[in-house]
Formats: sequence, structure tokens, C-alpha cells
Amino acid sequence: MKSREQEYRELFMAEALEYYDAMSRHLSELERNPQDVAALNELFRLMHNLKANARAMGFVDMGEVAHKMETLFGQIRGQERAFTGTLVTLTFRAVDILGNMIRAVGAGQESVDDKALIENLERFIQGQEPIETQAKPTEEEAETDAARKLELSDLVYIPVKKLDKLLNLVGELVIDRDRILTLAAELNSPALRATAQHLFRISDDLQYSVMDVRLVGAGVLLNKFPRVVRDVAASEEKQVELTLAGQDVQIDRNVLQLITDALLHIVRNAVSHGLEGPDDRKAAGKPAIGQLSISALTERDDVLVQVQDDGRGINTEAVRKKAIRKGVVTAEAAALLDEEGVWALLFEPGFSMAEQITEISGRGVGLDVVKLAIDSLGGRLRVASELGKGTTFTLVLPTSIAVKGALLIELDARAYAVPLLHTDTVLALANDQIFAVGGMLMTRVQEENVPLVNLRQLLYAEGDEQLPRATRTELPTDGSRLQVLVVSYGNRRLGLIIDRFLRQQNIVVKSLSKPLDTIDLFGGVTLLGSGQLCLVLDVPALTRLFLAKRP
Amino acid sequence: MNKRILIVDDSFYMRTMLKNMLTDAGYDVVGEAANGQQALEMAVATNPDLITLDVILPDNTGLDVLKGIRQQQPDAKVVMCSAVGQETIVNEAIENGALAYIVKPFSEERVLEIVGSALQGDGSLA
Repeated sequence: MKSREQEYRELFMAEALEYYDAMSRHLSELERNPQDVAALNELFRLMHNLKANARAMGFVDMGEVAHKMETLFGQIRGQERAFTGTLVTLTFRAVDILGNMIRAVGAGQESVDDKALIENLERFIQGQEPIETQAKPTEEEAETDAARKLELSDLVYIPVKKLDKLLNLVGELVIDRDRILTLAAELNSPALRATAQHLFRISDDLQYSVMDVRLVGAGVLLNKFPRVVRDVAASEEKQVELTLAGQDVQIDRNVLQLITDALLHIVRNAVSHGLEGPDDRKAAGKPAIGQLSISALTERDDVLVQVQDDGRGINTEAVRKKAIRKGVVTAEAAALLDEEGVWALLFEPGFSMAEQITEISGRGVGLDVVKLAIDSLGGRLRVASELGKGTTFTLVLPTSIAVKGALLIELDARAYAVPLLHTDTVLALANDQIFAVGGMLMTRVQEENVPLVNLRQLLYAEGDEQLPRATRTELPTDGSRLQVLVVSYGNRRLGLIIDRFLRQQNIVVKSLSKPLDTIDLFGGVTLLGSGQLCLVLDVPALTRLFLAKRP
Repeated sequence: MNKRILIVDDSFYMRTMLKNMLTDAGYDVVGEAANGQQALEMAVATNPDLITLDVILPDNTGLDVLKGIRQQQPDAKVVMCSAVGQETIVNEAIENGALAYIVKPFSEERVLEIVGSALQGDGSLA
């Protein structure tokens, strides 16, 4: 059993981290508007609480810093002191130090002792100027600093690990339930069927309840960005007004965790490359302050996280040229790409748009990190941009990672699952709806030419050999129609020719275990109610394979 | 019957610590409020023998909450809780009818001593 001391410590940590996040947020608000009384009151209250709690835990230094900050905010509130100049820098620094102290407690380390900071705070309280100003952090420090500011608390009152286990167990239960349902139908026993249906309802409820427990408000992550944006903007000498929306949108905590780095990259990219400096903006007839918004919204079963700026927009031709220069794409292939196709190149490994290395984004790692993270979640990334007007990046994410909607298809009497996130359209094509171009079969889907490929050829082909050139002679002549599943990935659509469609079903994806986990055409495996094993197709990997092998 | 206590504090950590101390000593903690609005509602709903009241709350000052409680329940017994540095508010609270104040960080003995003596007062609260 947990000792009371242990319990207090955990409570203290959970609350202190919450306070730290809120302090960072309110401090950014106060910097933007020094007359923001609500932010000031909150800062005062949070410092006061942290002081009291830290002292009760015996963390003397933390209590001391919080106490001095409380006094300072009290003075600012009482209009004895203005929140400007070195005081702003110092308070941001002090909140950072408090964050470090809190994390040190969490990691069971000695508290960080910062006598210089305490002394400077005291000097301010006495109305004197601080002794020394802090040196500008190095690039490395800025990087780790920003990353740390985005860390999510592991304490959602229940450790997430336990919830993961619970969800896994529920996953197993769902598989057994489907099996029992199938058996009930086979045995044709009304009593068994009634019981099975009851079990179905209960386990469905259970599954959603457990998934529900893991959901948190997107604000848990979004609320950390005012501070990050402020830091990046300050070091880039840009003026940015950040708007957050959709903090209440519910999303799986693990999904949030997985996209943290990706979102950090996109936001930094937006500030350092998307938004122009104040002079450029004025020259372009825009207000000096750049607008940036980060919002979460729900769309059917997905959660969209959007980062929108009103900056310079993506220069499509510059991206096209650079991608060719960097060898990301051949000149011939690049010439065929439309605008969206070119934008997708931004997320290819080896592409980094920064012509000028800046402190914040010139790190060699580029937006490909974003694509990796989104792919691993089975999500999608959308880009929209207008030159001179701005850019919007949209992450399309599953609400939960454990249970996915999937379309079951059949090929050579085997079932495969395709996550619904990547399915676009289902077609039954007659002979005359298919035409051949350049050794590939194509069809028209909504005014767009979509290449068709036999899934069999992709799955069974070995080595790096190109796919054989296809002609219309291999199409059925008996009037039967080809069953085609159009999948989409990265603004690209591909028609997979399959034997037949089975049904749509929620599946619990289990990752493949070693040594099978290196087969990248399959994202995992699931068990069907019949007890049959079903491989889950990895659409991004299939698309890449097709692009590499097409004639 | 055990004496019934309502805890008002915006910190979950503080509330838990106080609650443990009081429960261990045989009191019934009948409610926990995290802000002024909740405090006023729960004071009516639970009609406690004693209220511990934090001086700084998110939506209101502890002083306003104290006045509100005394207005709706003139006989309510209230003990203020405060970290050092808020002495002016505490003194004003005493003038407005608070029975005593506990300074954070508090020791268990001190809390029980203050709560015990506050409860022993004239006992006019039914």
C-alpha cells in the first residue's frame, strides 16, 4: 500500500505541474496585456498555493521562490510596480526555475538551488534593479527547453500505463465476444444467441467507457503553446498573436503524447518560416503582428488539429526546385506534381525549407518527423496554402489508437483489414471505365485519374523488380466488374483491385511481434470473430511500394 | 455524534492533507469546496459544525466568502487557513467573525488544537 507520504508527494506533483502550466500561460497573457487583472490574480493565487504546498512538503527553496513571486505579483497588482522590462524577463526565468524544481521533485532529485535568482527577486521587491541579466540560452538549451515545456503530465490521477493494460484486456474481450457471437449463429441456439447479444452490448459499453477514461481535453497540450510561441517569436524577433481553440475537444492521451513533437515542429515552423518579420509584413500591407492559431476540432470519428498562420504562404516553385536539388524527387517526377503534391514534399526526409539557419528551426531535422508520427498513428496530414495569405497544416488523428474502424476485404480467400482512415471510395468498375496509360491501368474518380493496381501483385511481388506493364487485355471480358478499393495517403489516391468486399467492422489492432514486425506492408494483426487471423494493411507503406515499383 | 467539518481550499493537496488529519482525529469531513461559490452552496447543504476557509480562492477572496457564509448562516463557525504573508486579511477575517486562524504550513497538533477549541466555543450551531 502507498504510504501517506508517497500519496502527498504524488498529489503535490500533479498539482504543482498543473500550476506550472497555468503560470506559464498566464504570464504570456500578462506580457501581452499588462493590464490583464484576471491573469494577475491567477498568478498571485497560483504562487500563493505553490508556496504553501511546497512549504508543507518541506521544499524550502521552491517555497522561497514562490513566496517572492507572490510578493512581486502582489506589488504589481497593487500598482506599486509595472510589469515591464527586466521584470518580465526575470519572472519568466523564475517560472522556468520553478518548473525545474518541480520536475526535480518528480524525478526524486535534489532541488535546483538558485540563490542568484532569489537574490534578484528580492532586489526587485525592494525596488532595485537586478544584478546581472541572464545570458541568452544556447541553441541546444532552447531546444530542450521548448521540448520540456511541452511535456505532458503522467498523472491523470490514474497512471496511463494501467489504463493501457485495461484497454488491452478489453481488446481481448472484444475478440472473444465476436467469436462467441459467431458460434451462437453457427450453433443456432436462441438462448446462446440472446446471451451473446447481451454480452455484445455490455462489452461494447465497457470498451467505450475504458476508451473514454483515456480521453483528455486537447487543452492539456494546446495550453502549453503560448509559452513556446512566445519564446520562438522572441528569439526570431517576430510579433505573434496566438489564438487557441477547441481545448475541450476530447482525444486519447496517448495520441496527444505521440503528436507532441510533430505539433511542436509545425508550430515552430509556422513562426520561423510561415510568419514574416514585422517589416516584411508592413511592406506586404499586413499588420505587423502575425496571427497564429492552434485549434482542435472533431470531424466524425477523427480529431483535427490545425495550425494556421497568416504568413507568406508556401512558395510552390521554390519547394519544387529545392526538392529536385536535394534529390528528394527527380526533375521529371517533380514536373508532373500539382501544387498539393509539391507541398507533400515538405514532409519528405531530407527536405528542410530553411534557407537560412535560424536558432530555432535550423536543426537538420525537418518536418519528416511530423509525417512519421502521424503515420504511426494511422493519421493523415493536410496542407493548404495561399501565397502571401498564409498556410494551414491539419493533422487528422484518430480519437483513440486502440480501436479502429476498418474495411474488411478478401484476396485469395484471405481476409485483410484496411483502416477506414485511409479508405476513400469503393468501386465496382466495368471494363469500359478503365483505360491504360503508360503501362498502368487507370480510372476516373471525381475528375481525377487514379492508378489501379492488383493488390495481389503488390503483396506477392518479391525483390525490387518493377511491376509488369499492364494492358487492357487482362481485363475480364465476361462482363464482370472489377472490385476496387480506392485508398488515399498524402494527397495521393490508389485503386487496389481485390477479390471482394466483406464488411466494415471495428477492429482491435495488435502489433506484429518479432521477427514479423519488420514487414512494413502490414500495420498489425487482428482476430476476427471466426477466429481467423487478419492482417491489417499499412496503406502508407503500400503506396510507397507502388510508387517505387510502378512501371 | 462526530463533529462535522467542511473544508474550503482551492488546492487539492491541501484539502487532502487537512481531511486526513481531521478524519484521523475522529471528525467527519462532510464536504470539500474548491472555490467560493461551492463553499457557499455546500455550507448550506451540509450545515457543518465548523468550516475551514482558505483566504485566497479563485473566484472570490476568502473574506468575501466568510461574509457570505455569516450572512446566510449567522452562527456558522469558521476557522481561516492561510500561508504567511496574508496577515492583514486574516485580521480582517477575525473582525468579521472568524474564530481563529491556522497558518500554513501547519502541523497536525496545531490544526487539531485550533479546531478543537473553536468547536468548544458557545456551540450555538445546531
